[in-house]
This record gives sequence, structure tokens and C-alpha cells, in this order.
Amino acid sequence: MGSHEPYQNRIELLQGTLDMLILRTLQWGPQHGHGIGVAIRATSGDVLQVEHGSLYPALHRLRKEGWIESEWKMTENKQRARYYRLTAKGRKKLSAEESRWNAMVQAIARVMRPV
Amino acid sequence: MSFWHWILRRRQGDRELDEELRFHIAEETRLRQERGQDRAGAERSARRDFGNLALAREVTRGMWGWSAVERAAQDLRFALRMMAKNPAFTCLALVALALGIGATTAMFTVVNSVLLRPLPFRDPGRLVVVWERPPDADRNNVVQTQNFLDWRKRNRSFDDIAALFEIPMNLEGEGEPVQVPGMLVTAGFFEILGTRPLLGRTIRPEDDVRGAPGVVLLDYGLWQRRFGGRADVLGRKIVIQGGPHEVIGVMPPGFNFPTQARADLYRPMQIDPAAAPRDGRNYSTVARLRPNVSLRDAQADIRAIAAQTAQERPEMNAKWSANVVPLMDETVKNSRQTLLMLFGSVTLVLLIACANVSNLLLMRASARRREMTLRVALGAGRWRLVHQLLTESFVLAVTGGLLGLLLAWWGVPAILGMLPAGFPLPRMGEIAVNSRVLIFAMAVSLGCGVFFGLLPALQVDRSRMSEGLRQGGRYGSAGNQRLRGLLVVAEVGLAMLLVIGAGLMLRSFLLLHATNSGFQPERLLTFRMLVVPQQFSSFEELLARRAAMVRDMLDRIRTLPGVTAASSVHLLPLTGMQSGSWFSRADRPEPPPGSQEGGDVSIISDDYFRTMGARLLAGREFNARDRMGAPPVAIINQAAARHFFPDENPIGKRLRVWWPPDQGPAEIVGVVADVRNRGLDRNADPCLFLPQGQKPSGFVALVVRTSGNPLAAIAAVKQQIRAAAPHQGTQQIETMESVMGASIARPRLEAAILVIFGLVALTLACVGIYAVISYSVEQRTRELGIRLALGAAPIGVLLQVLHEGMTLAGAGIAAGFAAALVLTRYLASLLYSVRPTDALVYASVSAALALAAMAGCYVPARRATRVDPAVVLREE
Repeated sequence: MGSHEPYQNRIELLQGTLDMLILRTLQWGPQHGHGIGVAIRATSGDVLQVEHGSLYPALHRLRKEGWIESEWKMTENKQRARYYRLTAKGRKKLSAEESRWNAMVQAIARVMRPV
Repeated sequence: MSFWHWILRRRQGDRELDEELRFHIAEETRLRQERGQDRAGAERSARRDFGNLALAREVTRGMWGWSAVERAAQDLRFALRMMAKNPAFTCLALVALALGIGATTAMFTVVNSVLLRPLPFRDPGRLVVVWERPPDADRNNVVQTQNFLDWRKRNRSFDDIAALFEIPMNLEGEGEPVQVPGMLVTAGFFEILGTRPLLGRTIRPEDDVRGAPGVVLLDYGLWQRRFGGRADVLGRKIVIQGGPHEVIGVMPPGFNFPTQARADLYRPMQIDPAAAPRDGRNYSTVARLRPNVSLRDAQADIRAIAAQTAQERPEMNAKWSANVVPLMDETVKNSRQTLLMLFGSVTLVLLIACANVSNLLLMRASARRREMTLRVALGAGRWRLVHQLLTESFVLAVTGGLLGLLLAWWGVPAILGMLPAGFPLPRMGEIAVNSRVLIFAMAVSLGCGVFFGLLPALQVDRSRMSEGLRQGGRYGSAGNQRLRGLLVVAEVGLAMLLVIGAGLMLRSFLLLHATNSGFQPERLLTFRMLVVPQQFSSFEELLARRAAMVRDMLDRIRTLPGVTAASSVHLLPLTGMQSGSWFSRADRPEPPPGSQEGGDVSIISDDYFRTMGARLLAGREFNARDRMGAPPVAIINQAAARHFFPDENPIGKRLRVWWPPDQGPAEIVGVVADVRNRGLDRNADPCLFLPQGQKPSGFVALVVRTSGNPLAAIAAVKQQIRAAAPHQGTQQIETMESVMGASIARPRLEAAILVIFGLVALTLACVGIYAVISYSVEQRTRELGIRLALGAAPIGVLLQVLHEGMTLAGAGIAAGFAAALVLTRYLASLLYSVRPTDALVYASVSAALALAAMAGCYVPARRATRVDPAVVLREE
């Protein structure tokens, strides 16, 4: 995530995009907050480093909207952690976000590549 | 869900969130440890990497959604925390608000109790006072006895009408005889007002007939003080004016007729219908309008009757008419203007206080821009921020309001207690902080809160958010600065207006105080009483005994050591009470009825002018030879001499005098310099002096000039009075200086209150300028530092800051000056010999305000010169 855009715009893009990334990550199975951050980072090849301070507000917001739900479970290291899981609504939201994202990418690509 | 349920759920959510975040940090630490960091370092870097843990937690909790209650509680907690963190700001703001709201509430308490609340009688809107109106002037005159009887018989507008007359009553038995203020009333008086007695009954028509056995009603206070509040007082006979009177009732506490001072005793007037046509004009009246009769109808009705009586008794009534005035108007007409003026002034103080707090809040809002921007960036809605800012200002306003209310609640009785006993503020006993005052105080506080809360709240939209987060973003926006400047100019302008008003009132009072009264009031003791001869069998004997009693008292008093002179007058000057009558030159034809002339009449004993220290211009004083049976004599004052004998010597000429007993035209034996009888602010009217020996008056005020402290002589004089007349009580013992002081008590109080308001306003304006300039200097620290580093002289910096402050102050002074020129004309009727545009006052107040502004600027200006350029440059 770049650091030279105007701050306001940065937040909006981050909110929408971060939501999508979180939902996608959870598609592979339930995970706790720390794990989601690590997963996004790893899958993006270390490019996307989610700010931890924004991660948890996003998670709780998604949970309030009903797209994910949470459950306290034990980790392999015998520690208690809150695991998040996609709901049916969440799946629908994810596919909607995905189509929107694709449409936007194609539009930008069309502008960047003159015919 | 229930409230408890909801709280428990939230608590659990908090705990779980804490655990979740702790887990995250632990995992991150473990990861870093695996990569090779030591435990402590890993934890530290994990935490640092997370960012602001507390903020994240807050924002996350925000995602759960708040209920309105939790939002309000949060805002409240935050507001209180902000107030505690800036004690200087909070103190300043609270003091300004407490003073402003407190003074306004106190003033409103008085205005509410005196002007707004209806009188405490049954259906008080229907109560009216009926006066006679003299032919030459549109003023209200007391009523002649027969006229009153005719009004009572012939009117068609009133349920009933009663007459009343204030008179001191000599109360004897159980201890020293005292004279207490009393009232003679006709039957129906209490029924007209609608107040039932606490005990017993009121005066019935049978009691109000000449010759009926004496009855009396007691005032509640007197009943408690003198009769111990015992119910067995009913039916007891007490001795008043030498005769027994049966106590038939006690009035409830707080009862009194509003246009008169408190009366302790009420007796029936027992008008003698045969003697009524020959009586003078003495009585006040009160009446209750019939249900469907308007004030105008009643006035037309009474005027018609007055026209009839003018035909029937032209010598008395020619060209006289009548006026009907609502009782409420009559009660407050003298104080209304003063009270409204004071209330207007106090709202100015409140506005200045609000402008001050507004400014302080605006400055603080500028300083908190970074915090605001961060909150918006983190997802706080704009309304949330506005809501929070408004909460802060409301908390401030309500706290200030409560402090102000306390101030008013304590202050009003304290100030009322300091007023002299006879102070002309009507309904003083009714002034109290009540629910309406509380509502007013709350409304004012909330209004203030909205007023100075809205300004910084509106700034939340307009400030560009990105600016707030840059390092250099400490400057106030241009709009903000202009607004602050405008507020300061407004503050100074309002303060100027107020202080000019105060200055005018003060000057007026000082001039009044210094006015020559025409006599020497120092070391002069006065004893007011109604002379009550004991046994007499005819009117002539009553008069003779009165004269003898007064002569006897004076003879005894004059023998006392320490007494240099003693005399008497029937009504003291400067007490607001005067007698008047017609008199005309005996060598000219008598003027026709309806166009008679006259003036004040004073009944004095011999040696009066020497005792008073008034100057005798020609002729002689009265002496012991001027008694009943001797040729009638008179003395006139300068004003009368100028009016009746413009270019002649009045001595030896005769005057026809209408003052019973009729002894024929009186010879003028002396002319005296004018004495201001009716008030220090009024020139003397023509005045006629008649000797007590020939026209013995029942009302007597002994005046005694002492060589030493007058108060030390009181006991001795009282002893002599008792020796001359053992049953005689005195009503009021006072030094003449005290009487004079009481006569100007109202202008003194007005000036004092306005001066206090003015000082408060001045201080607030000064503090306002100080705060704004201080802040401006703080904002420009870098610029000033650079200037000093580049070699600018410190004096230049000082002058520049002063210039900025004085420009604001100057604009305010000019605005206030202009406003004062326009608005002070409303003070004109309260000012004595000072014009509302008095140059001395305007000039000195402008100078005072300029000095205060300079003082406010000076400290920050000095601070500006001390900015260390090195420190400032290093910050870059």
C-alpha cells in the first residue's frame, strides 16, 4: 500500500479492498486475526502488508454486517483464539466484490493501453 | 433487551477483544522470536508494529455501534476530562460564565418578582387605584373625603372602592410607648383585595361609623414581635392613640398594600359625613372593577362623577378630574425604568462573557485540529464530532450556569439586606428565587452553550482535513482568526457601552450628592412622631394641646447640654412627603376656583431655620409670641417671593392661606433661602412656612442640632420627650444625614450596580484581549523568532504585537463610542444634570478602556520579544 496518496482516499480504497481480501482469505477456511494478516502478506508475496491497527476494526465490522462469524477455539499451541469463518451472506458479498474489482481493473487497463 | 443485559454483553465483548488483541501480539512476538530476536525485543517490536493499540481498540469497539446513551456518556466523560486537563482555561471560562449568568439571573429574580409576577391578591388584574387630577397638571393627587364618598355612592364600575390613609399610630401598654406605621381604611378594603385574615375577622361597615367602638387588625410581624404570636390576642383591648381598641383579627404573613410601606396596624377610618365636605385632600383609594367593566369605562364613569362634584362644590373641585390606574402600574411605575435599565445592562455583561468563552473555545478548537482530523480519518462521523463538541460546550455552560445560579441565590438576599429600610423598591418582601428563575437560568445557560458551542463545531466542516495533519499545520485558518478578532472587537465595544453608562450614572449621583440642599445636615438629629394629646373635649382643645406639647418638648430639649438648637417641622424635607395648599396675595383679588396658585406648606416651630442651618434672607423667625390668638404670621421662601412679589419687598404684605383653622390673611414676617424640600434633584417650589403655635399640626418632626455626635444625644432627648408627654412614642429617630442619604438611595444603588457591571465588563474585555493576543503570539512564534534572528529590534516586535492588539481594541472602542452616543438617550430620565453625551465621561472611559487593552496586550508582547530565535529555528 503506497504512502504518498492523500490520506482520505487511502482509507476508502483500503476499506473496500481490505474487506475483499479478508473474505477471500477466509474462503480457504476459518482463521484467526493474526493468521489472516500473515496469510494476506504471504499470498501477496510480501507486497501487501496489512496494518494491524486497521485489521481488527475491519474484522469486527465485517462480523457486524453478517458476512463473517466468529468462534473461540484452541490453536495448535494450546492457546485460545477467536477464529473467523465466512457465512453464506459473506460468500455472496465476496463474489459481488470480486466482480466489481475485475470490472474496475479492466476499465483501468483499457485506459492505460491505447487501442 | 434489558439495560443490564446490554451492559453485561458489552463487558464481555470488551474482555474478548482484549484477549483477541493480546493473542495477536503474542503470536507476532512468537514469530519474531522464531526469526531470531530475543523475547523482550520481539515483544517491543511487535507492539510497535501494531501501532496505537488503544486507538485500534477504541475504533474496533466503535464498529460494534453505540447506543445513544453510551455515546452521550462517552462525550460527557471526554468533556469532563478535557475540562480537567486545561485548568486555566476551564477556570477562566467558568468564572466568566458564573459572573455573567449569575448577575443576569439575580437581575431576573428582581425583575420577575417585582415587574412580572401578578400582585398576591385575588384576581389582581381587576384592582385599580383612583386618583384626583388637578386642573393644571396631569398628575395624580390624593383624594378629598367628600369626593371619595360621592364616588363610592354613585359609581357603576366597581364592586367596591375603599379609601386608605397612612398614619403613625401610638401604641401604649407593655413597655415603652412606640409609634408604629399604621393605616386607616374604610370597610371593604380587605374584601376588595381578597385576602382573608389569618385569625379573626376584618373591618365591617358597623365598625367604620363615627363613634363606633375602636377595633384594630394586627400585621403578622407585629403580632409575633409584640404579642408573642399568641392566639389569645383576639378580643384583647390595646391602647392606641390614647383610646382602647379591640383586636379583631391578624393578617397573614407577607400581607401589605403594595404602594405603601408595611403597616403594622389597620383601623377603620370612621369618616364623619358631616365634616367630609370641608376636609382637604388626603386619601389614597383602591377599587375592584366589576367583571365586565374595562379600565376605560371606569375612567369615563368616575370622570363623569368628578364633573358633577365640580359643579356641586366648585370652590374645592372646579376643573378637577380623575384618573383610574391599574394597581400593578401604580406599584411599579417608579421602579420599572430603573429595573429594565439594569436588566439591559446585565445582558450586556452576559454577552461579553459569552464572547469571551466563545473566543477561548475557538482558540482551543484550533489547537485540537490535529486530534479532530485524526478522528475523522479513523472513521468518526462528522455529526459525531459536532455532537461531542456541543457536549463540551454544554457541560461548560451548564456548570457555569449552576455556579451562577448559586451566586444569584446567595447574592440577591445579601444585596437586599444591605438596602436601607425605606428603600423605594416595591414588593421587596416578595423577591425570591423561584421555579421561573431556575428555568430562566437553565435556558440562559443552554442558550450560551449553543451560542459558543456552535462556532467551533461549524469549523469542523470547513477546516481542510489534510492541513490539520501536517507538521506545520498549527496556524489557525484565516476565517477562524477573523472570527476571533471580530469577537474581541464586539467584547470591547459592549464593555465600552456599559462603562460609559456606568460613568454617566456615577457622575450623576456624585453631582446629586454634592448638591446644596439649602441647609446644614451635619450633627442634626430628627424624631418623627404623631403628637397624641391625651384628654381633650373639643377640636380647639386638641389644637391647643398639640401646640403646648410641642412647645414643652422643645423647651426641655433646649436645656440639655450638647444641644445647640432645637425646633420642629411637620414633615421633614427630603422624605418624599410634603404638604401643599393654595395661597394668594391678600392685596389682589382672589383667583377663581380652578386656577388657584400655591405651593408647599410647612408648619414649623420657632428657631427652625437657625436649627436647620438655612439662611434667613430678610425679616425674622417665628418666636414664642406667634401663638393662638396673636396676629397670624407667615414666612416665605425665595421661590415664593420671586413668584408672588417679583420686584417688591414681601415683608409686611399679607397672604390668604387655605389651612385650617382659618385666622384671616397672614402677615409675611420673613424670607428664607430655598431649601430643597421634595428632593435634591428638584429645585424648590414656592413654600409657605406657618407657625406650629398657630396652626398646630399632629405630624411633628423634632430637629435637634447637637455639638457632638448626634447619636449620643438620643437617650437624653427621648427622656425629655417622655417627661413632657409620658404616653408619647416616637416613630423614627434618624440623623438628618441618614435621611438625606435615604433620599438618594436609588441613584446610589443604580450607580453602584452599574459600576460593578462596568468593572466586570472591563475585566472580561481585558482578559479577552490578553487571550487572543497571547494565542496569536504563540502561533507566530516561528515567524517572530526568525525576525529576531535576522536582527529585528525587540522593541519593533513589541510594538508590532501591541499594534495588533490596540487595533482590535481601537475598533471596539470606536464601535462602543458610537453605540453609546445612540443608546444612552434611554438613560436621560435617570440622569441628574448630566447629558447622555457628556464629554468628560466619554473621554475618561475611552482612556480607561484603552489603558486596559494596553495592559492586556503588554504581557504577551513582552513574551514575544523574549522568543529565543535559536530554539525556534531548531524546531524546523
